Amino acid sequence: MPRVNTVRGAIAPEELGFVAVHEHIGYGMPGSELDTQWWKSPEQRYEETVPKLRLFHENGGGTFVDATGICNGRDIPYYQSLSEKTGVHIVACTGFVGGDTALKFFAEASVDYLRRQFVHEITVGIQGSAAKAGIIKVGVSRGFRMKELDLRIYRAAAQASLETGVPIFTHLAVDVEPALTIFAEEGLPLDRVLFGHADDGVSQGKVNQQAILAAGGRLGFDTFGYDLELPDPPFWGRHRDERLEHFLSLVRAGHVDQLLASADANCSPLGWPGVKGHTVNYLFEQLIPALRDAGVDDATIHRIFVTNPAGFLTIGD
Amino acid sequence: MNGTVHTVLGDIPADRLGVVAVHEALLSVAPGAQYAYDIPFDRAEIFAALAAKLRAFAAAGGGAIVDATGMFHGRDLPLYEALSRATGVHIVASTGQGPEDELGGYFLTPQTNPPTPWPAERFAELYAREVSEGMVVPRVERRGAAGLIATGATRAGMTATEESQFRGCARAAAITGVALSIRYGADARHDLGVVLDAALPAERIVVGGLDRADAIAAGAPAAVAEAGAYVAIDHIGQAGEVDDATRAALVAGLIAAGHGDRVILSSSATGVAKGLPDAGVAYTHVLEAFMPLLRDAGVPDDGIHRLLVDNPARLLAVKEG
Repeated sequence: MPRVNTVRGAIAPEELGFVAVHEHIGYGMPGSELDTQWWKSPEQRYEETVPKLRLFHENGGGTFVDATGICNGRDIPYYQSLSEKTGVHIVACTGFVGGDTALKFFAEASVDYLRRQFVHEITVGIQGSAAKAGIIKVGVSRGFRMKELDLRIYRAAAQASLETGVPIFTHLAVDVEPALTIFAEEGLPLDRVLFGHADDGVSQGKVNQQAILAAGGRLGFDTFGYDLELPDPPFWGRHRDERLEHFLSLVRAGHVDQLLASADANCSPLGWPGVKGHTVNYLFEQLIPALRDAGVDDATIHRIFVTNPAGFLTIGD
Repeated sequence: MNGTVHTVLGDIPADRLGVVAVHEALLSVAPGAQYAYDIPFDRAEIFAALAAKLRAFAAAGGGAIVDATGMFHGRDLPLYEALSRATGVHIVASTGQGPEDELGGYFLTPQTNPPTPWPAERFAELYAREVSEGMVVPRVERRGAAGLIATGATRAGMTATEESQFRGCARAAAITGVALSIRYGADARHDLGVVLDAALPAERIVVGGLDRADAIAAGAPAAVAEAGAYVAIDHIGQAGEVDDATRAALVAGLIAAGHGDRVILSSSATGVAKGLPDAGVAYTHVLEAFMPLLRDAGVPDDGIHRLLVDNPARLLAVKEG
């Protein structure tokens, strides 16, 4: 039976609707919880988050995929309550944003242990809850080069994906060759992998998008909205038009089925200031109008935000 | 003994601590193990196990225990407060972090470009506030004041971030008057030098791990004492290259050399260990098994009292600014 794991149980792929495939309810680096400068009351967190999710829902958003890995402030009961109160489906992930967000216990773990951790969270539940992970997060540590721990996490994720069917999404699409090697060695079809942040400003010139596309991988334009035109853009920002043109070039070249788009916004950041003015609703407010203005038809937009993510997230026969 | 000590239930006069175990752990959690799929955290069970061990410590004559593993290794303040109330054992909790592999990415690879690890000043502020404003229950609240600042270096040798960490901890100790515990990495003299260089008086520092074989071979215990810092013989009861008879001889030698006011004894026991090996030593080991060895080695009872009561009290008493 085809299904997608959400924090409130499995749903049919047809129920996903419009999907924001790489987002965060709230992200913080491990250890940021010790620094009171970032603390927010639960009241404040709900106040910052609920209106964004409600607007997402009103805009036609169906599903919010949270990319906050283990050790980064992932908070399942909170996600469950947000989902229940706003009507937005939330998919939680297992895995790590990158080796440099895996704390010592996991940094010293074997591939096999990491695989069992991921499989448990996908098939039994996350942190004692009944909520099962719907996707596995992996990533490249800072420095644009895969570290040994990153590779161990990629291999464990590939094995867990094969075992459970859930897909993988990556933090950064740079230094992709070692990743492609691991996925090939493990026998994971690359349509189960979304190579994320292929569009961010600091990665340009370091992403071998042709290799990803040729191998059948999916390409994530999932930092839409981190525009250098913002008043205080982050270091990974990019000029708005340049990113859009990059995306359109791939659409025009016939790669639509391998493309996914998202905003990577934090509803209420946990361990950093966040980027003022940037929310998941950028997708509706800026990106889709811009795509229409560029002549992208509604059927194509539907493929990018509905058909492709459904195919990507669905597990089971 | 003058001064007061920060315990999890508030400040108490240092002379009320009694016998103190300075380098121990209550709940000891490898960073990240709290998220492991196969490690249960049953709070009632953890409480019962720790309470039984603390009661045994008290029955053996113990008065106070220091959870000396810092702010990110399973420290659980509500649990410790309840344990102290239930058992009558004074509990001192610590701030600080380290060695480097135990730090989160927030400190090592911050969301800046480039991802420069934290400098000493930021660590100093983080830890000083755990004394002046209270220790954190992450994202919830601050509780009582930290009674010790604890850090450590990598066995292979102090890393650059650990040097920042040591300097930051030294500054926090100087500002707040709370003592500093350093678990040395490869070279005890060097690591002590780093914190002395940060203008913390030697009498406010305890160096851990000095009963390691490499420390004994290098003459580090006497060197640390001669520098005026406290010497922690703090793996008593743990199996390894050094046995307790060797430790007893080491302690007797330090006392004979006139360093009796600079030695403290502990076991680095783990009350409840999660995601790391249990040290396999009871809090009672020093009192029940090691004291007879010290007597056999010729240490008189008043000398033992100094090691177990007076020295820790002097170390833990907050220095007035």
